[in-house]
Amino acid sequence: MLFRLAPGDPVARMVDPMWTPEEVEYVMSQLGLDQPIWTQYLFYLKNFFSGNFGVSFHYGEPVHEIIWKRLPNTILLFTTSTILAALAGVFFGKIAAWRKGSKSDTWMTISALVCHTLFVPWFALMLVWILGYKVGWFPLNGIISPEIWVDESSGFLVKALDVLHHMLLPLMTLFVVQMGSYLLLMRSSMLGTLKEDYIVTARAKGLSEKVIRNHHAARNAALPVITSIGLSLAFSINGGALTETVFTWPGIGKELVFAVSNNDYPLAQACFLLIAAVVLTANLIVDVLYAYLDPRIRY
Amino acid sequence: MKNKLHDHAEIKSTPGWLGFLLLVLLLATLISCQGETPEGLLRIGLPEEPRTLNIWLASDANSRKILTQIYQPLYLRDPKTLKLVPWLAAEDPIYDEEKITYTVKLRQVKWADGSDFTADDVVFTGNVIKEFKVPRYSSKWKAIKKIETPDDYTVIFYLKKPTAVFLSRALTAPMVSRKEWEAVAAEAKTKDKPLRSLQNHRVERPLGTGPFVLKDYKGGAYLHMVRNPHFFGTGQRIGGHLLGPYIDGILFKFYGTSDVAILALKKGNIDMFWWGLQPGYLDDLTRDPDIAVFHNQKSALYYMGFNLRRPPFDDVVLRRAIATIIDKDFIISRILQGYGTILHSVVPPGNQFWHNPQVPHYGDGLNHEQRLKLAYDMLKAAGYSWTEPPVDPDGNVTKGKELHLPDGKPMERFTILTPPADYDPRRAFAGLMIQEWLRNMGLPAYARPMAFSALLQQVKGKRDFDAFILGYGSLNLDPDYVGTFFYSKQDKERGWNMSGYRNKTFDTLRNKQRGEMDRDKRREMLWEMQRILLEDVPYIPLYNPDVLEAARKDRCSGWVEKVGGIGSVWSFCTVKPIGS
Repeated sequence: MLFRLAPGDPVARMVDPMWTPEEVEYVMSQLGLDQPIWTQYLFYLKNFFSGNFGVSFHYGEPVHEIIWKRLPNTILLFTTSTILAALAGVFFGKIAAWRKGSKSDTWMTISALVCHTLFVPWFALMLVWILGYKVGWFPLNGIISPEIWVDESSGFLVKALDVLHHMLLPLMTLFVVQMGSYLLLMRSSMLGTLKEDYIVTARAKGLSEKVIRNHHAARNAALPVITSIGLSLAFSINGGALTETVFTWPGIGKELVFAVSNNDYPLAQACFLLIAAVVLTANLIVDVLYAYLDPRIRY
Repeated sequence: MKNKLHDHAEIKSTPGWLGFLLLVLLLATLISCQGETPEGLLRIGLPEEPRTLNIWLASDANSRKILTQIYQPLYLRDPKTLKLVPWLAAEDPIYDEEKITYTVKLRQVKWADGSDFTADDVVFTGNVIKEFKVPRYSSKWKAIKKIETPDDYTVIFYLKKPTAVFLSRALTAPMVSRKEWEAVAAEAKTKDKPLRSLQNHRVERPLGTGPFVLKDYKGGAYLHMVRNPHFFGTGQRIGGHLLGPYIDGILFKFYGTSDVAILALKKGNIDMFWWGLQPGYLDDLTRDPDIAVFHNQKSALYYMGFNLRRPPFDDVVLRRAIATIIDKDFIISRILQGYGTILHSVVPPGNQFWHNPQVPHYGDGLNHEQRLKLAYDMLKAAGYSWTEPPVDPDGNVTKGKELHLPDGKPMERFTILTPPADYDPRRAFAGLMIQEWLRNMGLPAYARPMAFSALLQQVKGKRDFDAFILGYGSLNLDPDYVGTFFYSKQDKERGWNMSGYRNKTFDTLRNKQRGEMDRDKRREMLWEMQRILLEDVPYIPLYNPDVLEAARKDRCSGWVEKVGGIGSVWSFCTVKPIGS
């Protein structure tokens, strides 16, 4: 409903001066947009419960097909980057908190702050310019090298490594940007945990510093990070539009922006529905994980 | 100390994933051979991938760029003279004034699958357009009463009445094959929404008569076309060009931003970027000896429009005064950085035959002070006044304050709607400059950027606005649109007459020129229409930006430059790999 109430005309971007108002009206009727908004809503509900998410105005394809084509690319890139960034963030955040006040803590915290506040498109373009263009280690954009894929002699391994090669630069961008926030979160959580009584108890029991840090402190301190990972994974479905645009990564974030800005209602609705479903599922998984990670929590 | 030791040990036992990451990086870099590019493969960068390969749905620029290499019209514009030349047709159409018919003889052309293109395909295309009311074409094909095909290579179009735009609009529509579309159309006709059904048909392998055929399309990554062995133009001289194609194929790659596409061009990953460049890139590109930069005019109209339904913009004197104040030289030199042409008429000067150079040129050649004085005199003579006039008693220009309308009331604040800077910085900045110039005159103007589709809805749908800056980036070379944009019957919701302009003389001329089959006589009428419009100024034409494009000259040559740029079927039929 909100999409239809938002300003903008779904056919405005399709038309050119060669279209007459009658043609525009005819197209509107063909898209079902001549119906009252509540009729459109009931129609949407009916389709929704029968598993039909409609056909994109601009692609002319069922929206679930468009989403299924793009979703794996987004999951591949963003899930990998989130997991890697979270692992690195937890690892370095733990060390930074443990060494609170030391030079390494200062450097790690400052670096994390810089990474966390980086303007993603600028950083991505810098990486493309330096590592892709100047040094030439990475492809500039895209998910594959068309020259390799149109060459019929290219084998599976070459193609797989080609995808991997294309993934590295966007992965690096997301990794750097995300890692900063995980490191800061982990550090702050760990600092709080280190003041807990059970840490003093662990020391009194004569446990080694490594065991105290990794098993007693870090494991408890990681709980907020787990929540953050869950939500990040969910929002990564749509949250990478800028990264996807700079790297021409054919993911779902770009499609969502296109759908909303062009009033492609069926596509926008399906994308939001997907995001809502993923966020709910991720929350559920995080809640279950909490019970596993922290035996004090029982539902 | 103890902590440090432990940490050291921790860092030493760096998790395996970091090592794995480094290994992957190394491995992938090692195989970073991008694949050798065959000499005959032209690599074109597009700003986005095509949304569809269905010719009846395609409305975005990128889909059309792809499909114009596949589906061909009967007549095509000569890149140099801009006149229509026979393309799938064998010769110029013969017009019979008495019967009101056009007879078109067809070439011996084959579809890409080797079957014959015949008059039956033309009839089929026409029927699809009419029966499904395909937008963009249907209003032009409405003029046809019936189509006859005396033989496989002759088509006679019977028109309901003489229609000047029939040739340039209807016969330039892309022809489709009965074989490809007959079953689809038959099924679509049985549906509730036949047009939508036709447009939603998934086209995997479009069948056309053009110089290239689709070989492979990997969504989000590339689109590969190869030379059509049955292309009728190969070896033929049409429009002064000996046609190939001389390349084996085209590989379209997609770039989300111009920045990355320019880097790809400089690095040699693409041979041409098929998208207008911002002037800011030119210095860098012109320094590269392997890159050629092309400047061409566009068939475009960027303008400021008024809502004539709403006072005080219904006063022609106020509109003329605003037209006088606007410094188009400044817009061209500063905002377009010199890459554009001043527009005085609504038909751009690049469209030489139809452009009327004798329309009023408001404030042309004057400096800022002279403009203000002239506008001041115009408004003062019409009964406008100021709390503080912009010209003092000694004739010096100062900042004007609070313009009062002839009825003595102060002019109310008004808004100039523009697209946002991220959509089109030129229009957004032009709006800001105009705001400042008008404020100096005491007009309470406010430029307001608005999301593009919302802007269109506000101006075209709701018609709730004071003034706006919009543009058409790719106008048809037949200036019939002049009649469309300002025709009183188009002053309705979603109509093209956004300003609400109404002039009976103009309407009469508009209707008359549509039925005038003599090109010179029609030009006279269209010139008069342009003159009337610029007297009444419902729109102030502002500028026509140049199309700036770049291609690698170490890879290919033979681009055909024309209004609109080098990217066209003409170029792809003539461009040759270097060394071939």
